[in-house]
Amino acid sequence: MSSDPLSLTFAALADPTRRAILSRLALGETSVMELAEPFDMSLPAISKHLKVLERAGLISRGREAQWRPCRIEPARFKQADGWLGDFRRFWDENFNRLDQYLEEMKADEALKAASPSKRNVRSKKEKSNGRKGG
Amino acid sequence: MDAKVDKTLKITTPSELEIVMTRMFEAPRHLVFDAMTKPEHLQRWFGCEQAPLRICEIDLRVGGAYRFVMGPPDSECTLQGIYREISRPELVVFTERFSMPGFTGSEYRVATTFEDIGGKTKMTTSILHSSKEARDGHLAGIDQGVSTAYDRLAAFVESQA
Repeated sequence: MSSDPLSLTFAALADPTRRAILSRLALGETSVMELAEPFDMSLPAISKHLKVLERAGLISRGREAQWRPCRIEPARFKQADGWLGDFRRFWDENFNRLDQYLEEMKADEALKAASPSKRNVRSKKEKSNGRKGG
Repeated sequence: MDAKVDKTLKITTPSELEIVMTRMFEAPRHLVFDAMTKPEHLQRWFGCEQAPLRICEIDLRVGGAYRFVMGPPDSECTLQGIYREISRPELVVFTERFSMPGFTGSEYRVATTFEDIGGKTKMTTSILHSSKEARDGHLAGIDQGVSTAYDRLAAFVESQA
């Protein structure tokens, strides 16, 4: 397994139990015992998930001998945030916009094919409609 | 009327290094090809609300470079690379690298094919990474479950900060 921080973060987030643990920890730090309560899982199983989260830098655990309180580490979430950007949503949104834009392109092409003499008028119009970046 | 086209974006992982996206478009492939490769078209649809496309430079030749810059100058994201194969209207191959302040991704190869299906277009984009780790990192961003969970967690974290 990769030790690249972001890979570890995303691998850790891919599991629903671990996400549920993080949601609980987002409310405040707590002990492993308390954390295990709402889950139908053994303490060793929960501990295993916690180790994955800790290794991914998403949580930290206190040094207190008896109850090692778990807490969330906001820094790693913020680091993932900028990079993530949600690619599926990005492409879904972009392709939906492209669908609409293709309708414009088709209409333009049909217009050119139907009346070649109007081509010049149309291309001027296109230029005035062109959106500038920035 | 034409049969309804399924425009769902499909994402698969045929190997440890790949991500493949397929999508149908209700337009002939030369238009889809142009929409994907010409700045005057890309500036009309590519980008996102939070980070609109600010710079779009394309030298559409084999060996030619392209650069897309999105978002405000202090936190801009850049996609850039070199065209490797161009065959209008059926194929375009290029390398790509994503970067933003504090993060530069590794380079990957993108091959997009435009298939004519009764006057409509099936676009297939194959993304080939050089390592499974890089692919997984890219894929994690694509996985909706992870992202949704992340959004929720980020909101929690924000409220704690």
